[in-house]
Amino acid sequence: MIGDIYAIYLREMIRLKRSKVRLITTIVMPLLWLGIIGNAFNSAFQSSMKIDFISFLTPGIMVMTMAFTGTISGITTVFDREFGFLKEMLVAPVKRESVLIGKMLGGVTQSIFQGVVILILGLLMGMKLVNSPITAISGMLLTMFLVSMAFVSLGLAVASKMSSMEGFQMVMNFLIQPMVFLSGAFYPVKSLPSWLKWGVKVNPLTYGVDAMRYFSLGMNEFSIWLDLSVLVAFSFILIAIGSYAFRKS
Amino acid sequence: MAAIETAALTKKFNGFVAVDGINLKIKKGELFALLGPNGAGKTTTISMLSTLLKPTSGKALVNGHDVVKEAAKVRQSIGIVFQDPSLDDQLTAMENLDIHGRLYHMAGNERRKRIREVLEMVDLADRADSIVKTFSGGMRRRLEIARGLMHSPEVLFLDEPTLGLDPQTRRHIWDYIKKLNREGVTVLLTTHYMEEADALADRVVIIDRGRIVAEGTPSSLKDSIGGDVIKISCSKPEELKKAMEKCECDITSEPRITEEGLVINVKKAEEVIPKIFDISAKNSIEVKSITYKEPSLEDVFLHYTGRAYREEEGSEKDRLKMRMRVMRGRR
Repeated sequence: MIGDIYAIYLREMIRLKRSKVRLITTIVMPLLWLGIIGNAFNSAFQSSMKIDFISFLTPGIMVMTMAFTGTISGITTVFDREFGFLKEMLVAPVKRESVLIGKMLGGVTQSIFQGVVILILGLLMGMKLVNSPITAISGMLLTMFLVSMAFVSLGLAVASKMSSMEGFQMVMNFLIQPMVFLSGAFYPVKSLPSWLKWGVKVNPLTYGVDAMRYFSLGMNEFSIWLDLSVLVAFSFILIAIGSYAFRKS
Repeated sequence: MAAIETAALTKKFNGFVAVDGINLKIKKGELFALLGPNGAGKTTTISMLSTLLKPTSGKALVNGHDVVKEAAKVRQSIGIVFQDPSLDDQLTAMENLDIHGRLYHMAGNERRKRIREVLEMVDLADRADSIVKTFSGGMRRRLEIARGLMHSPEVLFLDEPTLGLDPQTRRHIWDYIKKLNREGVTVLLTTHYMEEADALADRVVIIDRGRIVAEGTPSSLKDSIGGDVIKISCSKPEELKKAMEKCECDITSEPRITEEGLVINVKKAEEVIPKIFDISAKNSIEVKSITYKEPSLEDVFLHYTGRAYREEEGSEKDRLKMRMRVMRGRR
């Protein structure tokens, strides 16, 4: 069982290592956000809040990137189906669950890896951690794991309903983008108009961003227990849907 | 114990009967071909035997294991080369085989040893570390065959192993298939190429619309519809006809005189043709030309189904598949 999961995981890691273009593009976009938007808003933001915008924005960009990367890596199962490798796995003396877990862990690794890269970029650009590094990093890793699991599963669920890569852009534009925009990744949610606040509150990603800020910056809108409970529940529901959809397909 | 045994194996898709009560018995070490036009139910049969699809009814045993109740045991004991490519083209040949070995629970040193062996068998040892994306269609097929053999299965399934390959590559693949069969692997291959079944198989089952219509060795199938056809163009066909009727050769039906000359059905043309020369020389008949044709499996198909072989039906889909393969090769 562990060996089977590892075999699937190993393949995902080799593919990740090979796809340098994908790695670079997923790092370039956050870099633009942090480098340009982050610096452009820095002075204006700092005068109204007690914190600089780079520090504020970095956890948000981390969550945004993980949401995108997680979903994309979940969706790569469509590639496996289109290009036949899924059959190779399904005809092997390996349980469906092992294939599923191996693929999920592969996606989660990739997603966390990118989150960490952005954290390092943010720190290089002047992000200040308030909590001790150990608390900050372990708390952030936990949050990153939950967020990644949720979005990899979301990708799996979407992928099993998708017959081609054409639906991919639609999922990104109509599902993931709005979630990111409504998550408070780019702005404080305190002073929003009430209709917008409602959208933010029902969005599970909001709690991911909030937890990340709690662990790194010590600032939070909601209680950390609420954040973590929402994230755990959200992940579990999506893992259930994702694995059901994967087994069905 | 038979390598593969099925009893009334049936698969229905929403009322459409793809495989209709097939009974097969394939001995260990046999090279067995399922021959039939596209859509005859070949791939569905293989999918059931390799546990990818559950039969609607009937039973199938592979290496003595039930394909439904003992799916894991069946999977461990078979290798399969799918009709559509199923390699990971971002991995190297070696990595593809290594992952395969892990999925089939092979130990590290065993994997390394076996990777070398199978790559050498298909002449890809020098490309072990190349990424599959850079491989030609023929090389990919060879690598897929190597992968199918990686875990030393007792039975190898080959679903249309040479579909979309050029004639030269096809011959190479045939050589590999013959070689591994000589080494003791039972092979079940499906094909809609008559000449492929003819060139490779010990035994052939012809299936059409989900049913078995004929079964036997390629030569027994051809013999069953009555031998070769000889056409002789000569100066005195009437005289030759009379002379031939008296001769002691295996003529299977009465000689006929047609516009093309004298037509004789015989069991074995190569034995009769020398006699024709003797007889015409004795009777001073001038022979202008002799042609003969062996019946092909195509004639067998025609004989048993009453229809010409429906190669056309599949060709559109095959062309598409071929184009996709070419595109993938370029990617």
